[in-house]
Amino acid sequence: MFRIIILFGFTYLFLHLHLTGDISKYINMKYSYLSFTMIFVLGFLTVYQIIKWNNEGNHKHEHHHDIDCGHDHSKDENTWYKKVVVYGLLLFPLVTGTFLPIATLDSNVVKAKGFHFAEIDNDKDQYANHQILRPNTSLYYGSDEYRKMLASDLKKYSAKNNLYLDDDNFLRALETIYNYPGNFSNKQVSIEGFVYHGDSLKKNQLFLFRFGIIHCIADAGVFGMMVDFPQNVSYNDDEWIRAEGTLSTIYYQPFKQTIPYLKVTKWQKVDKPKNPYAYRKY
Amino acid sequence: MISQSFLQLNTIFISILIEAIPFVVIGVFISAFIQMFISENMLSRIIPKNRYASVVMGTCMGALFPACECGIVPITERLVKKRVPLHSAIAFMLAGPIINPVVIFATYVAFGNSWQMVIYRCGLAIVVSIFVGIMVSFIFKEDQLKKFIDQKLKKYRDHHDYYGHHHDHDHHHEHSKPTILAKIKGTFDHAIDEFFSVGKYLVFGAFIASTLQTYVKTSTLLTFGDTKVMAILVMIVLAFIMSLCSEADAFVASSFRGTFGPSALTAFLVFGAMVDIKNLIMMLSTFKKRFVVTLIFLITLSVFVGALFIG
Repeated sequence: MFRIIILFGFTYLFLHLHLTGDISKYINMKYSYLSFTMIFVLGFLTVYQIIKWNNEGNHKHEHHHDIDCGHDHSKDENTWYKKVVVYGLLLFPLVTGTFLPIATLDSNVVKAKGFHFAEIDNDKDQYANHQILRPNTSLYYGSDEYRKMLASDLKKYSAKNNLYLDDDNFLRALETIYNYPGNFSNKQVSIEGFVYHGDSLKKNQLFLFRFGIIHCIADAGVFGMMVDFPQNVSYNDDEWIRAEGTLSTIYYQPFKQTIPYLKVTKWQKVDKPKNPYAYRKY
Repeated sequence: MISQSFLQLNTIFISILIEAIPFVVIGVFISAFIQMFISENMLSRIIPKNRYASVVMGTCMGALFPACECGIVPITERLVKKRVPLHSAIAFMLAGPIINPVVIFATYVAFGNSWQMVIYRCGLAIVVSIFVGIMVSFIFKEDQLKKFIDQKLKKYRDHHDYYGHHHDHDHHHEHSKPTILAKIKGTFDHAIDEFFSVGKYLVFGAFIASTLQTYVKTSTLLTFGDTKVMAILVMIVLAFIMSLCSEADAFVASSFRGTFGPSALTAFLVFGAMVDIKNLIMMLSTFKKRFVVTLIFLITLSVFVGALFIG
């Protein structure tokens, strides 16, 4: 009985997420076929369990059935308190998943989860992570294929004089910029992201970030760029901005290295995009 | 009101579940299929008697199953119940999540289409699973499944000395070969049973993992990793806490390349795919506590020592 409810609940949860499109707020849609298939598999198991339950109702030999079949698990839920724990535990995600609003990862997560971020604000740490802003740079330049891939990306993104970062090219194009900042210098770049303040930034500087998702929210990391405004600005963390300007490089003390940044000429506050995350497509 | 951080915790929690459930369902179906269709005799004919050969065999079998670390626990449990030697099954469990095409491809792509990390990762995984398998074969003589499972299994074996069983809900004790239909039906029954059995541990593990992700400042952990030894240890702890799927962890590892060398990253990639919070809790549900503790100790030791030789 409880099993039917739980199986149905999971079927419903997957169905609900796919119908409303909310699934993209949990996982990279590249893998959505897996959870989509689950609607049917779990749906089938629900129906199967209903039929089984009905049949069992007609034969009252359940204890016998357990021993005879060596059902290793069917007796796990044999006492009422075990039932409460087991089924309660499984019902919990169904309830919270269905009824609680979906949170969006924001600067709070960057701070809490942000193993990449403590180092930004920490001048003394010479092992500061240089990776945060730079998706997928390689220390292993030995590979010819990697070079080839970079070269083709480079051609694609640096061919024109202006580069507009959108949902699709965000991660790849950003990676190319970080690999070859020289090829992009003085080019027009337009980037959108949420505001994050690092400690050692000036009043007219801030970071624009987006979370990049590989598989699911649990493995999300943050990617973006430093932007430099012609005047002091007072945006709060998590406000979304689209900024456009010329790309240049700057020596950034906390990283002890030169990083690309955007000398902003035009910018505007924008609404949080319908899909705040950037997904890894390859 | 529910706090924003709890909502974020919940979002991470649900997302881990959505990501893991398909793989767990595949795992329980494979396990149920083995239960119903593959006999102990068939398995014992395939698996060598020699302990070294059978550990190697287990590692190779792991390469055939595209299972991740949570899907593979029920399969391993099933193999042990089918009288596959424990050390062979453990080698299978450790190699499975790493030595498979999907994970190898993900690792290759994540590290900028380079084979170097793939070779490190697979190499260390093979070494660890063989080493741990052999150690297990010397330390543990019995199957180390939890007692209550043992007892049930015993009852079950007393009843049936032939392989498998059929679900005769009509309770005619016909000790004839079950029909295909009955076997298929039995496969579904077992899959559902196991889904519930494994599911509760998955939910529990996913919840702990998402809590740690939300509330523990992993960033402070990283500041300890300034020597090679410490870097490896930090990455092992991080892999455990993050509880990433072995198909996604390579991308996360690649984002640490600026901070850590290949040795620490390899440790992260190998350890995380073998042990993490969610599959630890699943293992504890299956195996005896002493065994799981010993197993994790052996894995940690061999991953650590192995990683020291890299880079």
